[in-house]
Amino acid sequence: MIDVVFLLLVFFMLASRFGHDSRVLLNVVGAKAESAYQGPPRLIDVLPEGLRLNGRALASEDLLPEIEALTEKPEDTIVLRPRDGAALQQLVTVMEQLGEGGFRNVVLVE
Amino acid sequence: MQFTTLPRRKPPESIVPMINVVFLLLIFFLMTAQISAPEPFEITPPDTVNPSEEAEGEFTLYLSSQGELAFRDAIGEQAALAALDVARGAFCATDGCTKKMPALVLRADGAILAKRLAALMPKIGQAGFATVQLVTSPQ
Repeated sequence: MIDVVFLLLVFFMLASRFGHDSRVLLNVVGAKAESAYQGPPRLIDVLPEGLRLNGRALASEDLLPEIEALTEKPEDTIVLRPRDGAALQQLVTVMEQLGEGGFRNVVLVE
Repeated sequence: MQFTTLPRRKPPESIVPMINVVFLLLIFFLMTAQISAPEPFEITPPDTVNPSEEAEGEFTLYLSSQGELAFRDAIGEQAALAALDVARGAFCATDGCTKKMPALVLRADGAILAKRLAALMPKIGQAGFATVQLVTSPQ
């Protein structure tokens, strides 16, 4: 019986995965018809080095105040467009910044 | 006079405390374990500074650092999306999918081009998912 218990113990030690994964939410364009895009354009280009908001280069620490000026409420949709060689890591970093400001309604376009 | 000291045998160590400890460990692992299917490829999710809610969903899609897509046993973009569509259909046949949309979890490698994901989003939308939970690893 002890053998079986040891076997089970080893199995669970090997098969279990610890540490929960976090997540960021991404919406599919046009999937939520009730929340149609409203307000001024909010298009963030994610470049390999740096950001552009509506085509204008921007330092990453200026992003939140600028976005807050362009939105009425945190539920407003923000459009992200990765350019050239921008890695997913950079995109997630920008999304996390937006999330700190309460903006979670993000869509990704090409 | 001779004092012969008879070699005294040590009493056998009791096995009961060890069994107790082993049972305790077993119960600990049983309670905390999160058994999950092995990943089709090695994936390093993008890092975030702050932990947020836990990613949880019925369907998990994998995107490798080579940009290859996988769902369950299906590897390759066409096959994976087709399998996802079938799985969603089967899930909705039992549940209706009216009250609650099934959630899609995407485990993507942090090193892939973000463009690749942007190109994938409309296809995920076509498969019937409105929101994607992108898995990140908090530090």
